[in-house]
Amino acid sequence: MAQPEPSATAIFYRNLGWLRFVDRFGRKGSQTVDYIGGLFEMIGQFFAACVSRPFYSAELVNQMDELGVKSVAITGITAFVTGGVLALQTAYSLEAFGGKNFVGRIVSLSLVRELGPILTALMVAGRVGSGITAEIGSMTVTEQVDALRAMAVSPIRRLVVPRVLAVLLMMPVLTAIADVLGILGGMGIAVLEIRMTAQDYITSIWQQLSISDIFSGLGKTVFFGLEIAAIGCYNGLQVEGGAAAVGRATTRTVVLASISILISDFFLTKLFLAI
Amino acid sequence: MSTPSTAAPRQHPPRGETIVEFKELWKSYSGRDILAGVNLKIQRGEVLCVLGPSGTGKSVTLRHINGLTRPDSGDVKVFGESIVALSEEELSPVRRRLAMLFQGGALFDSMNVEDNIAFPVREHTSRTPEEIAAIVAEKLTMVGLPGIQRKMPSELSGGMRKRVALARSIALEPEIILYDEPTTGLDPVSSEKIAQLIVDVNVRQKSTSVVVTHDIVTARTVSDRVVFLHQGRFQFVGTFDEAASNGHPVLKDYFRAMGFPCGTGAFQAITQGV
Repeated sequence: MAQPEPSATAIFYRNLGWLRFVDRFGRKGSQTVDYIGGLFEMIGQFFAACVSRPFYSAELVNQMDELGVKSVAITGITAFVTGGVLALQTAYSLEAFGGKNFVGRIVSLSLVRELGPILTALMVAGRVGSGITAEIGSMTVTEQVDALRAMAVSPIRRLVVPRVLAVLLMMPVLTAIADVLGILGGMGIAVLEIRMTAQDYITSIWQQLSISDIFSGLGKTVFFGLEIAAIGCYNGLQVEGGAAAVGRATTRTVVLASISILISDFFLTKLFLAI
Repeated sequence: MSTPSTAAPRQHPPRGETIVEFKELWKSYSGRDILAGVNLKIQRGEVLCVLGPSGTGKSVTLRHINGLTRPDSGDVKVFGESIVALSEEELSPVRRRLAMLFQGGALFDSMNVEDNIAFPVREHTSRTPEEIAAIVAEKLTMVGLPGIQRKMPSELSGGMRKRVALARSIALEPEIILYDEPTTGLDPVSSEKIAQLIVDVNVRQKSTSVVVTHDIVTARTVSDRVVFLHQGRFQFVGTFDEAASNGHPVLKDYFRAMGFPCGTGAFQAITQGV
């Protein structure tokens, strides 16, 4: 006996799970596209505001201190300890091959080209990115951002430009400090644990490191700084609701900034290697 | 709701030209029409109160005047110029002639009282620090809080914050001042002070004021005209006394819910201290 044709309603309910999946996927996709579009629009406004008046230079200096100088401790300690551990691990691994004398070269190259920039960026994303979102987010939910707009003051110029520019300018400085401290941390371990002389350690670094290594490492951090501060500011400006929404936005900033640093690091490394 | 004021009803100043105009204004959120084809003209020099229950779109109406919210359709004219299609930068000259007192004050919590009040003056004028200090002192005296320049917003009570926010709003002597729920959350004495300040500022600075409130006592004290917003439309436009004696069922329900049944004379008796 021939099966009766299923009705349109039956077909609809049979595929309801799929329809829900497609609907949810579509909504998420649309939100993601909206988010990326909004973020890039804000970055465009940032660059436009950088080259026109008014410019809040006093606020820029204040933010360079707040976001940059006050981050030296955490980025410096991270690099110092990492440099020491790296020296220890390298010496342990190379001991069997008699390659202890390469410790200085390996530590310095790893730090200057990769670990210094990436660790500094991740630390700054945690400390500065979250702080920017929390501050601007609180201002958004308490209508302080609307108050700026109502007073004919652009939140992009007043809030975004000083913060993004401060992080962008301070990232290479923080990374350079982290590189030096990381190499010093490695030297401490090399001298105390591996029984190298400081002279040998430094000489091996001089022989290995080139200017291009240093600049490729520092160059990347400008892009990382832009990503961290732009995501931090944008998430802060997009907050809707109360304290819980600010908390969620802050977490989102750290997650997104960290992921974007790691992904962009791959492409930036390829770019700087090609240059 | 605050206790009834014993202040006399407003003497209506002569009406000037139309300074703000809404034409067929529509705005919806999440598929719900908050404003459904609103039309309104606000005259220079008047104090207009937008009355209505919470959540009916009073603040949304107010935010259309300075472009903080854009309509889905319709037109808003401020100083005779349509502002709906203007960019944020293009809106700046219009916004400089307007000020807004936000519901929570929206004082910048990283700045002290002096810097908060001086903020718009420093942004838009090239006055000397001495002149700015004088303006701050004058405005603080005007709102009854002299000598608190060095205090931070976190050290102020709710009523003081609103008065400082009002001082900041009037620092540039704007032509239009927008008040978003100026007395909400305040005790009756503070509410009455704020209401009296709204009247004083309107008279002294010859400004136009639009006051969004659900507090009919404040409306009685400050308004030349009231409009009653309900279901996305202005259900009533007229003087406060006309509203209090109006037979419109929604308005009657609102006044009754606030404790002042229309047409019974109860409101007039209480407010005049009879």
